[in-house]
Amino acid sequence: MTRDHELALVARLKTGDADAFDEVHAAFNQRLFTFLARLARRRDVAEDLLEETWLRVVTHAHRLDPETRLGAWLFTVARNLHVSYRRSRFLEDAAVETGLGLWPSGPAQASPFEETAASELEARLERALATLPAPSREVLLLVAVAGLDHADAADVCGVTPQALRQRLHRAREALSLALARDAARTTPGIDQVTPCPTR
Amino acid sequence: MSDPLMDRLASLPDAPPDAVRSARTRALSRARVSVRAAASPASESHAAHGLWRPAIAVLGVLYMIEAMVMALRIYG
Repeated sequence: MTRDHELALVARLKTGDADAFDEVHAAFNQRLFTFLARLARRRDVAEDLLEETWLRVVTHAHRLDPETRLGAWLFTVARNLHVSYRRSRFLEDAAVETGLGLWPSGPAQASPFEETAASELEARLERALATLPAPSREVLLLVAVAGLDHADAADVCGVTPQALRQRLHRAREALSLALARDAARTTPGIDQVTPCPTR
Repeated sequence: MSDPLMDRLASLPDAPPDAVRSARTRALSRARVSVRAAASPASESHAAHGLWRPAIAVLGVLYMIEAMVMALRIYG
């Protein structure tokens, strides 16, 4: 989507153009669900949050700034709803590296993706991603999976681009470490390999 | 610079949301957009300006007249 087209969509959304809404929905629905499902690690929660995201979008569309970047705005709405959801469930992440007690994460569960991962490598990546604290997971999802640029991802997370780069770097390191741990856990050591029976 | 780990993340498959629920949400949202467009902000603000501004002006004038009458009674 070019910037000109995006600005035109924003202008049409502000005037209550239902066709413009359809276009935005078609462009972002799956990306938002992917983001929410990996963030929430529960399909039913992600479905609820996705629905609420679109209803919020409709409610506030007429107040959009004409220069709004749609991707950043939509992911901000979705991300804020997820944060509210976690707060409402009184779940906190004990392993948040930033020490912000309000950052929720909860116990790691198998994500819907993990269950359907096509390859072992994907499954390992999904498992490793699911073990990360929410701030790390969300920054990786926004930049690497949703494809937002650093400025947009920083807007979504409510931090400066510099802080986002630092958070992204730490998240990448944490993911790399989690992958190594997963590999060590799932790959048997040489002493654990049962030799083939000889005739 | 390419980062293999980030590239692998980017290539993870999407899982589509429930199609029926998505269609229902889209229809509901679309209906709300249409309702909002019908009751456009322009007509709302026009109606609001048409009613409230003269009312506030009249109240202001009445207040000023009352204040002047009171002042004349006390000092006049």
